[in-house]
Amino acid sequence: MNADVVIIGCGPAGLQAGIHSSRKKADTVIVGKIKNSALYDAHIENYFGIAGKTDGPVLLEKGLEQALSFGCRHIDMDVTRAAAEGSGFRITVESGEEIFCRSVVIATGISRMKLNIPGEKEFLGKGVSYCAECDCNFYKGLRVAVIGGGSKAALASELMTGYASVVYWVSKKISADKSLVNRALKTGVRPVTETPKVILGEDRVRLLLLEDGREIEVDGIFIELGGRSSADIAMDLGVMPEADDSVRINNKCETSVTGVFACGDITGEPWQLAKAVGEGAVAGLNAAGGVKGIK
Amino acid sequence: MLACSVNIVVTELTGSTFDKFVTDNRIAVIDCWAPWCGPCRRMTPIMEELSKELEKKAGVAKLNVDENEAISIRFRIMAIPTLLIFKDGVHIDTLVGLRSKEDLMEYIGSV
Repeated sequence: MNADVVIIGCGPAGLQAGIHSSRKKADTVIVGKIKNSALYDAHIENYFGIAGKTDGPVLLEKGLEQALSFGCRHIDMDVTRAAAEGSGFRITVESGEEIFCRSVVIATGISRMKLNIPGEKEFLGKGVSYCAECDCNFYKGLRVAVIGGGSKAALASELMTGYASVVYWVSKKISADKSLVNRALKTGVRPVTETPKVILGEDRVRLLLLEDGREIEVDGIFIELGGRSSADIAMDLGVMPEADDSVRINNKCETSVTGVFACGDITGEPWQLAKAVGEGAVAGLNAAGGVKGIK
Repeated sequence: MLACSVNIVVTELTGSTFDKFVTDNRIAVIDCWAPWCGPCRRMTPIMEELSKELEKKAGVAKLNVDENEAISIRFRIMAIPTLLIFKDGVHIDTLVGLRSKEDLMEYIGSV
């Protein structure tokens, strides 16, 4: 698939970027799941022109409908990989489909990394990891559990079968695309349909206790929530994030890489709807302007 | 476009230079990393700045864990990036994960 502009992220920043980009007549694709937006679990009462309380999903669904009405296309999947290619970019989604585009807008928000269960903090670096890609090599021949229901966990589970002796994929719900799930299962990943409760051990991780009382004996636990992290997507595109995972932009929402824009929570605090929408408009206009040669 | 950061080369250690570096520096900060690790690549400019700012106060170096497995086994490294902190030749702390330059400056100031 080809497009002028791909917007990664389907929250308020991404949707507003889509609205402005498509109204500039740029062929625009928004990639992402509205359920992954921080706004999905929130309600709004401090946004200009909207009195009372409005639920996040209501606003997001209306925003998506509005973006589609201006000609945006929407792919309801996570991005699994992004890369510079020629004078543009290649964006890969969960199904394996690739989109080639001239400009990219990163509007992924700040990724949730932590599970917040007992033992997680204590065993960081002693069996608990947030990056299978980084730490897979330390678990050769050992038993590991990968936690998370999204595309990131599916890919991490598959990756770990190349190193670990046993890979458990622990999640009560799976939201990853079926093709990724099937790929992971084909490599021998053992699914465990339950919520993790406590990580136990002495000087190293030894057990993962589940909500239903079952215990899994493991040497390592990879916490891989949601989709590819916003920081990893930025790095895929050649943008170096700050230590707090934010991405620096200028007043045109341009990053350090030509053709890559960013908006919303990923550019730093305040993590507010009004700021996300404002930056989304700027990023969308400039991303579309760049591909159309409009100054 | 935004400006890029300055490049300063941080000493790259191996299994044979590791111990001498630790004993030669009153405080040694060693960044254990690997090329395929995204957070490790993000640590690189932070370590470069740290190396410049801590000149004469602490020795800052890097160690590729993929090429120096014996050291990672010796210090039981199971996640990267990991910073090994030494004072007067003694291993005093292990910091796991990406950290900002400011956090590290504050930490090293307290050592």
